[in-house]
Amino acid sequence: MLHRFISISNITLFVYYLASNLIYLALLIIALFASLRHRRRLASIRLERMRTSPLAPPITVLAPAHNEEKSIIESARGLLALDYPELELIIINDGSADRTLEVLREHFQLRPADVLYLPELHSAPVRGVYMSQNEPRLLVVDKEPGGNKADAVNAGLNAATKPYVCVVDADSILERDSLLRIMVPILADPRRVVAAGGIVRVLNGSRVRDGQLTEVRLPKGWLEVLQVIEYLRAFLIGREAWAAGNMLNIISGAFGIFRRDLVRAVGGYRTNAIGEDFDLVTRMHRYLLEQKMDYRISFVPDPVCWTEVPSDLRSLARQRARWHKGLLDVLWPNRDMLFRRTYGRLGSIGLPYMWIFELLAPVVELVGYTTIILAAVLGVLSREFFIQFLIYGYAFGTMISIGAVMQEEITYKRYNDWRDVIRLVLYCFFEHFPYRQMYLVWRLQGFWQYFRKDFVWRPMKRIGFHGADTGK
Amino acid sequence: MGCVSNLPLMAVLISPGTPGRFVLQAIAVTFVGIALLLLFILGRRGLRRRYFHRRDLRVFALRKDWEGILSGSVPPESWRRHSLDSEIVEEMLFEGMEAAHAAGQWEEAVRLLNVLRTSGLLSTRMHEASEYGGWRKRRALVALGRTRAPEVVPVLAGALEDEDPETRVAAVRGLGGTGLAAAATEMMDRVVGRGLSTPGLTLQNSLLHCCQGRPEILQPYLRQAQGGAREMLSRVLGELATPDMEEDILLLAADPLPEVRASAARALGVARPVAALELLGELVKDKEWFVRLRAVVALGSIEDARVIPILIESLCDENRYVRLRAAGALAHMGPRLEQIVEKVIETRDRFALHAIISEIERAGGIAHLFGAISDPNRREEATATLMQALKAGQEQMRTAARGELRPVTALKPGKAGS
Repeated sequence: MLHRFISISNITLFVYYLASNLIYLALLIIALFASLRHRRRLASIRLERMRTSPLAPPITVLAPAHNEEKSIIESARGLLALDYPELELIIINDGSADRTLEVLREHFQLRPADVLYLPELHSAPVRGVYMSQNEPRLLVVDKEPGGNKADAVNAGLNAATKPYVCVVDADSILERDSLLRIMVPILADPRRVVAAGGIVRVLNGSRVRDGQLTEVRLPKGWLEVLQVIEYLRAFLIGREAWAAGNMLNIISGAFGIFRRDLVRAVGGYRTNAIGEDFDLVTRMHRYLLEQKMDYRISFVPDPVCWTEVPSDLRSLARQRARWHKGLLDVLWPNRDMLFRRTYGRLGSIGLPYMWIFELLAPVVELVGYTTIILAAVLGVLSREFFIQFLIYGYAFGTMISIGAVMQEEITYKRYNDWRDVIRLVLYCFFEHFPYRQMYLVWRLQGFWQYFRKDFVWRPMKRIGFHGADTGK
Repeated sequence: MGCVSNLPLMAVLISPGTPGRFVLQAIAVTFVGIALLLLFILGRRGLRRRYFHRRDLRVFALRKDWEGILSGSVPPESWRRHSLDSEIVEEMLFEGMEAAHAAGQWEEAVRLLNVLRTSGLLSTRMHEASEYGGWRKRRALVALGRTRAPEVVPVLAGALEDEDPETRVAAVRGLGGTGLAAAATEMMDRVVGRGLSTPGLTLQNSLLHCCQGRPEILQPYLRQAQGGAREMLSRVLGELATPDMEEDILLLAADPLPEVRASAARALGVARPVAALELLGELVKDKEWFVRLRAVVALGSIEDARVIPILIESLCDENRYVRLRAAGALAHMGPRLEQIVEKVIETRDRFALHAIISEIERAGGIAHLFGAISDPNRREEATATLMQALKAGQEQMRTAARGELRPVTALKPGKAGS
């Protein structure tokens, strides 16, 4: 009986693993073609004309900030220096316990403004709204701590006045022409394209001056380099390919642009969502599909947002556990979208993929470990085949990671130093052990925390932009 | 979203009869894949490095001969033989032309264009744009636009008929790049007569660029255009209108399409014909909020005391954005601020009063206002009293606003950019 169980589970797992690899290979090929098409399309676009066009739709940039005193000024200056004809920046001070508001007040000569603020979307109470005396495009909303980013963004959405809103993380750096680039699909088809996501890349190790990135370098720490590979794989393969089929259901909270009326129509960000960015895009898909609207949610791989990633295991573990909780928190309430005609390709391909190959992956992996041990104990483990399969899995995973590096090389080529590229490629060979096993544990922790209803936000240890060139 | 590598799953096939051979083949293929990828990355890096090194050297050499190239003493055949040299010279000519146009050095621009013509670069691009397809054609179309040569217009216009939408977009961009009225005419012929389908903003931008010198060429097309084409052309006119277009603007202001009326309001603000105030006074009562908003913005740009009562009326508009823009416009009326505030108080509209005070404060005019309306010795007291009154009223206003707010509903796509 036990042998039979092991046999069935093995066959199931074999099929699962094979399918997962083949899907990722297919995604890599789709992404490759999509990015080449995008590059060629860009060749016929003159961004400098957009930069001065009076027809460019105005944008409100929303930057929630919680305890960001180290980097908020550089960040705000960077955001205000973005190339875009009509821009409004709203910084939402989400009940910071540090001097975030004070440093903003001193630097931008903020003064209280008794503006009309209508709380149409749910958020914690707003304590005050400030306007700058030296920067008319800046508005600061000071609010009670909401406990999450969604709450802060909703407050910003209530104060926003432009037709498009770009949500960024206050601790991230946008390249100067990022807004122009992320608007490309929207300008090309403003009736259909309702949102667009940009690529988020790892800031650690690079040099920053006055809120602008001056030199892109690979981080020094192994943990951060592995995250660079992960980000390349997730954005340059995953999101690019899913967006090509209009099944993109995550626009990173660090950098995305949305039609404001639509975000309001779906009720803004869900303040109790753990993965608020994933949740919002999924609800937007649901709403638009139910309304039978012809729409697109795009991904643009070249408007780059640089963000600081965890440089210590503890912070990374918290972040990954939270991501997995967020995944479950969105997929479970939207399970009714699965395999329903109303939800089209998203319901029949995109979401099932997320369920099977993202959400349940750690469980399947755990079962895999268990069956190996069981098989070994029962003496039915074929050592030869085990080793063969181990090599195959290792090689395939490495190939996909190198494929992501190749995507970066062919298209955007941000790492100019030879040594960085060689290190990046080398790390593709070393990410399988013990990083993947740790990642499995973190994701299982995410499950555990979700079922225990442990939704407490645990902050990540940050070093700020000043330390960005240390690689630590 | 990460790759599901799941190392332990590699060990799942343990029962006898597993397809071991298949796995061995898969391993071999995967390792070959890895090797190819690595080779590609490193090879490409090496090649690119060599290419840029060579390019730098050629740029340096060509720059040394630049005057000779322009004068013809260095024969074009000598550099056109090499594709890299050809590419570099073309780019340098384009950049030079763009700089000359920007600086208003028309003679220099013509001189550079003549080099493009005599060297055969222009005809090569025209050939590519006519005979090739796909990305090569699109690249040629955009390059032709950069030449600003009148003879490229028919070639670019021909590409507007292409079946591929991306080629049509490239043609529109190319035509826009020329900045020539003839290019605008070609685009409008197709938009109005044949229903050219390309993204609206791209087309608008190109038309804007081409009609800048002669906005009157828009008029005959605008009179014929219907539906979406009319909306689009009126939007362009809204940016370029001149006072002598009053008659057309008058017609647009009475158009049944709200987008067209909004553009008319914009045009009135830009052109400021004699009847501007009267027409804008009508448009601020329009049933569509974005038409009223446009009218208020246009009124704000007109420095005339007669706009004040109209803007004060708009301060009591049911739409929040209209109120805010009206307040913003009024707050910049400088020396007339005190009369404005008095008149706003007379409206007895809490929203209006709140909006104007906020905007005056944003504009930094609050001190001036209080200085004017109260005794200097009691200024602080007056400020505190007024602000206190406002704050006390704010909660009531919020409550009232909540009651007055309609449920939030999504706008149909397409209105967002209005």
